Amino acid sequence: MHEVYLLLKKDLRILGNNLLLILRNPLRLIPYGLALAYFLFMYSRGVSGSEGTSAEVDMDTVGEVDVALQNIIGVLTVLALAYFLFQLYRASKKNITFFKMADVNLLFPAPVKPANILLYYMGRSFLPSLGGSLFFLIYSGGQLAKDFDLDFFGAVFLVLGFTFYFFLIFPLRFLIYTLNTRFQILEVLRLGIFIVGLGMALVVIIPGLMAEKFWEGIFAWVASPWFDLVPIVGWSKGMMSYFVTGNWILSSSYLLLYILTYFTVVKLVIRFSGYYYEDVLDATQSNEDRLEKAKGKKEITEDTYSLNSKKQLALPEFGLGAKAIYWRNYVQSSRQDFHPLFGIYSMGMVFLGIVFAGLSHFEWFAHQIFYIYLIFLLFFYFMAGFGRATIGDLKKPWFILIPASWSSKFWNMIKLDLLQTLLFSLVLIVPSVFLAQFHWGLILFFPLGMIFSYLIGLGLNLIPQIGLDEGWDRILIKPLMIGGISLFGLLPSLFIAILFFAITKQFVYGLAVGVLGLGAVAGLLLHVSLDILKRLEFKEL
Amino acid sequence: MDYMLTVTDLSKKYGKQEAVSNLSFQLQGGEVVGLLGPNGAGKSTTMKCIVGLLRKTSGEIRIGGYDHLSVGAKRLFSYIPETPYVYDLLTIWEHMQFIAQAYGVREWKTRALELLELYELDDKQKKLGRDLSKGMRQKVSICCALLPDPQLLFFDEPMIGLDPKAIKNTKNLFKTLKDQGKTILVSTHLIEGIEAIADRIMIMKEGQIIGNDTIENLKKQAATGIGLSLEDLFLEMTKDA
Repeated sequence: MHEVYLLLKKDLRILGNNLLLILRNPLRLIPYGLALAYFLFMYSRGVSGSEGTSAEVDMDTVGEVDVALQNIIGVLTVLALAYFLFQLYRASKKNITFFKMADVNLLFPAPVKPANILLYYMGRSFLPSLGGSLFFLIYSGGQLAKDFDLDFFGAVFLVLGFTFYFFLIFPLRFLIYTLNTRFQILEVLRLGIFIVGLGMALVVIIPGLMAEKFWEGIFAWVASPWFDLVPIVGWSKGMMSYFVTGNWILSSSYLLLYILTYFTVVKLVIRFSGYYYEDVLDATQSNEDRLEKAKGKKEITEDTYSLNSKKQLALPEFGLGAKAIYWRNYVQSSRQDFHPLFGIYSMGMVFLGIVFAGLSHFEWFAHQIFYIYLIFLLFFYFMAGFGRATIGDLKKPWFILIPASWSSKFWNMIKLDLLQTLLFSLVLIVPSVFLAQFHWGLILFFPLGMIFSYLIGLGLNLIPQIGLDEGWDRILIKPLMIGGISLFGLLPSLFIAILFFAITKQFVYGLAVGVLGLGAVAGLLLHVSLDILKRLEFKEL
Repeated sequence: MDYMLTVTDLSKKYGKQEAVSNLSFQLQGGEVVGLLGPNGAGKSTTMKCIVGLLRKTSGEIRIGGYDHLSVGAKRLFSYIPETPYVYDLLTIWEHMQFIAQAYGVREWKTRALELLELYELDDKQKKLGRDLSKGMRQKVSICCALLPDPQLLFFDEPMIGLDPKAIKNTKNLFKTLKDQGKTILVSTHLIEGIEAIADRIMIMKEGQIIGNDTIENLKKQAATGIGLSLEDLFLEMTKDA
């Protein structure tokens, strides 16, 4: 097992280098410190809380607590089951990988046994599952300690239940994929997964149909000890229910079942995967790309969101100079959706808004839901503007090279977004106002608010992006800047808007005042953005 | 004759699309062969099939008499991929150590230092992989491949991303390796980089070899061969691609 020793040594070295990096920059420990502090706080609160509340639980509410607990366990188990089946189905389409591209380049061509490498990496994948489970425990430990007197063994079985559930998904998916590539039996595998899924669904649904109340029937069955016999999901549930039942023999039995299954699956994987290097290439490459994008090494491109890159277009003419930027955005947008000015998702959001407006006619439907929806859209377009500063034209060299003024380039960059926003807002608000007989002022103020929100988001991200150097300057000053603008620009607007709404009891007046405030902030940010744009530089990632 | 590399009727299909079709060729020990071809000709696929990163659909590949997927074969060759990926959290020196362990090289430190010096990485030994530029990662990748002192080397576009000095060093390295009797298969777009050192050129087009000979003989084969450079010859032979 030369390979295991080799890889273990490499991973220990990587761990050592990681620790050194942390020591060089202890600020990296802050999130971990916060998580630990949160856990300790919640745990101590939970423990002290449980002393006071245990009497109440013992008296009258035992039955109710059981039903609530049963429902929670039922919902979680059904979700876990659905996720498990979904993962199996995905395995018939795309493989998972335990590797990195550095392994592909440096390790795969080396004189090592592929089976041993796979064995090591599969075993190692226990750690991320364990880490995730521990994180869950930290997150929920306080609450569990409060409600269920979570002790040491309870915590151990809880963590193991989660860990094995996620851990076993990887080798199972790997096995399904390699069976497909080895024997070309994709249809058979899909059919098998479908039958398993259907069987599971029936096992869950039939008790619901037989019960008085459908959901209660399902949850009662799923939460019952008999369901624990269902492989994987049931075993995990059975193992984790130690902190409720206190039966360590039962929990240990499920753990043993898991271990036996794991070794069987691994044995099958090793037997059938053979020379699996090609099977993992695509998944490894796409993981690496995702990681590099997340780290910022690789640019997040508009292609990421592209829906139809092969669409044939009738290309329009818009003119010369900076208008080329508008033309490019138009073409890009045409490829992304069925129409450059209207997207399928935005049409969906329009539809939803109009449905809310239509339902406002009925007494049982609160028209405030429509207003909340409008506020959500204002926030949504703020985020869209925020994201716009990090993708697209500003990341391309031609934005700097095109011989035109900075202001014309900037306007052409956002022109299509503004047009789309305006059209979206009008298509949503005009029919809604007439349908639900809302105040006509919404037709004026809502589109304006949407455009201002977009511009604020854009400016808020663009200014530090260009104006501040990469690194700590940006990391530290950007939140301060956003905080400052929120505190002195957005919050006062919001406050006055709420005040006007409270006084007049009319949403439209609150919105009008808020939009005026947003307009002032947007104007200011726009002014700074145009000024700072000259400092834009192209960075090849 | 004993060949260092024998490829017989190699085919590789992606679904229904055939990327490489019934390819057969041999490399003698000590031979330097350039693999040329337009984009999508199947050069990288061929190389990846040989080194075992892709599964061949049919055919046979033998390296030094061993099946190309056996550990025995892998002890004989190294592969320098087109895109150099390294471990983010291993230093350059630790990469060398990792490769030495993987290939079972015992006395590796002196050679590692020589290679790092050659590629001007000796003062960056403690740099982590994540802090390296693409060019530096390519240099690390080359150093890692050369460390086990393999008999056969596969270079997939080795000069992409290198600075002029590193390109010159790589060309010199090809000469040195050739003098040492190493067998080299280089897939490249930089034709002038291979012209001076290649004993033979293989030109690929649409998954097949359309020319496989010395440069002089290939020129003779081409209709207007007289006075053609290798670049002209390559463009002539692949003009419909």
